Amino acid sequence: MGREKIIEGSGLSYHYTVYDDEGRPAAKQTALDGVDLQVEKGQFIAILGHNGSGKSTLARHLNALLVPDGGTLYVNGYDTRNDTHVWEVRQSAGMVFQNPDNQIIASVVAEDVGFGPENMGVPTEKIWKRVEQALKMVGMWEERDASPNRLSGGQKQRVAIAGVIAMRPACIVLDEPTAMLDPAGRTEVIRTIRELNEQEKVTIILITHNMEETVYADRILVMDHGKVVMSGNAKEVFSRVEELEHLRLGVPQPALLAWKLKQKGLSLPDGILTMEELAEALEELRKNGQRGAVREL
Amino acid sequence: MLKEITLGQYYPGNSILHRLDPRVKLVGTLVFIISLFAFGSTSAYIAAGLVLAVVITLSAVPLKFILRGLKMIFFLMLITALCNLFLTPGDVIFKVWKLQITAQGVRMAIHMAVRLTYLILGSSIMTLTTTPNQLTDGMETGLGWMRVLHVPVHEIAMMMSIALRFIPILMDEANRIMNAQTARGADFTSGGLIRRARALIPLLVPLFVSAFRRANDLALAMESRGYHGGEGRTRMNPLVYQRRDHIAYGIIALYLVMIFLIWKYVEISLPFLP
Repeated sequence: MGREKIIEGSGLSYHYTVYDDEGRPAAKQTALDGVDLQVEKGQFIAILGHNGSGKSTLARHLNALLVPDGGTLYVNGYDTRNDTHVWEVRQSAGMVFQNPDNQIIASVVAEDVGFGPENMGVPTEKIWKRVEQALKMVGMWEERDASPNRLSGGQKQRVAIAGVIAMRPACIVLDEPTAMLDPAGRTEVIRTIRELNEQEKVTIILITHNMEETVYADRILVMDHGKVVMSGNAKEVFSRVEELEHLRLGVPQPALLAWKLKQKGLSLPDGILTMEELAEALEELRKNGQRGAVREL
Repeated sequence: MLKEITLGQYYPGNSILHRLDPRVKLVGTLVFIISLFAFGSTSAYIAAGLVLAVVITLSAVPLKFILRGLKMIFFLMLITALCNLFLTPGDVIFKVWKLQITAQGVRMAIHMAVRLTYLILGSSIMTLTTTPNQLTDGMETGLGWMRVLHVPVHEIAMMMSIALRFIPILMDEANRIMNAQTARGADFTSGGLIRRARALIPLLVPLFVSAFRRANDLALAMESRGYHGGEGRTRMNPLVYQRRDHIAYGIIALYLVMIFLIWKYVEISLPFLP
């Protein structure tokens, strides 16, 4: 494929040093262990794993907040280990964090979105253009003069995403952006992310422990103990229900239901992920005269 | 009780005061505060009060918001007034046991209370009509010359704006912790001063821990958005003086002259003021 590679990581490893009570290094804990990661322009990648699987550590590498102990990582062609490129790397891979409150710096929405471009030294009129464009992309332009404290969690997170977009990054890395939101905010943020990817062709790397959010990703990487243990598109990954349960990751409800029905002998197609798909497949079965089998269940 | 501090809370609007250059507002507030302390007389205070009333009307900020800031300093004001009332030497007009009230004391107490009220109202108006970012921008540009003296102007301005942003969040958090502790039987509202102060310890410890955690997160977020100090930074809202700003400077100068003249030549003695 001739597509531009935005992230190229191979054999990435990283260790945390654990200190004892007196502050001496006591043990090393492996957070990343030989991770390979390739992301192409315009892709939507989801990285899935439970707490402590190394997914957040990986996210911080993409932004050069952490540097790998072993292996190499190129972000937009820049080696993250090279100190001189640290700002280019950070501009290339914009980060959105978990807590919506702790990443909004300014007290007015528009000023916060302008913070990144200000740091980059973008001329004033261009900052405003970028801010307007970014806020319109996430649907928050109406709230540009509001105080972040008056916004809901989902809205705050959309402002944070706009703040990153305004820096014109090559890709956006979202580190559990919905973990602290209510269901409504969660849907809102995921919808925004999807729209950005589909309409604006923004490259997305979504890090999460929530399966439902990864359904629309082009590729899912499942991490456990610092390693990538599964990789593939949503249909491939979610058909491996038993392995996922073993990794303490819940499969999305419709997929789980479809899998269980199949175990009972219904001939459902592979790779059902959403409620609509499941309903359609069941309707199909009913039409094809397997009515008895459905009723039996 | 913790939610009611308005100092440093921007009230969105589009009044003439909102549109003024923050440097003008900073200078104006400073001049106003200095005038309160330099020219303390009943006549000057009445004049300053009238000016303040005009400014408040111009700001189009609901009076409710402005007055909220006063509640916060009510006790400070009470203590100051009482100290002045009882501890100022002079002509005794009232005496019980060792406590005595002097005519000068009454005067001082009232002046002090008025001064503090004006001070809070004046600075509240500034912070209510200026976004903290504009405010710190104003300080940074207005005081930029201090960098020659190795004063880290940008850093101080950035710290201030972040502090202002997080005050309401930490207030909310304190309230939440307080409710959680109350639900488990903690008592913040009864007992003497010492007991109440001691009851605050289980509130402050988790608050500090959370503040540090937030600071850590924020530092990460700022770094990942390319923040590397004031060097090479551009501004989203660069400060450019408009015609109205020059006019405002003129008005401020006029105010200073007027209040000086009133203080010097006009004397008002109110019947209830000795």
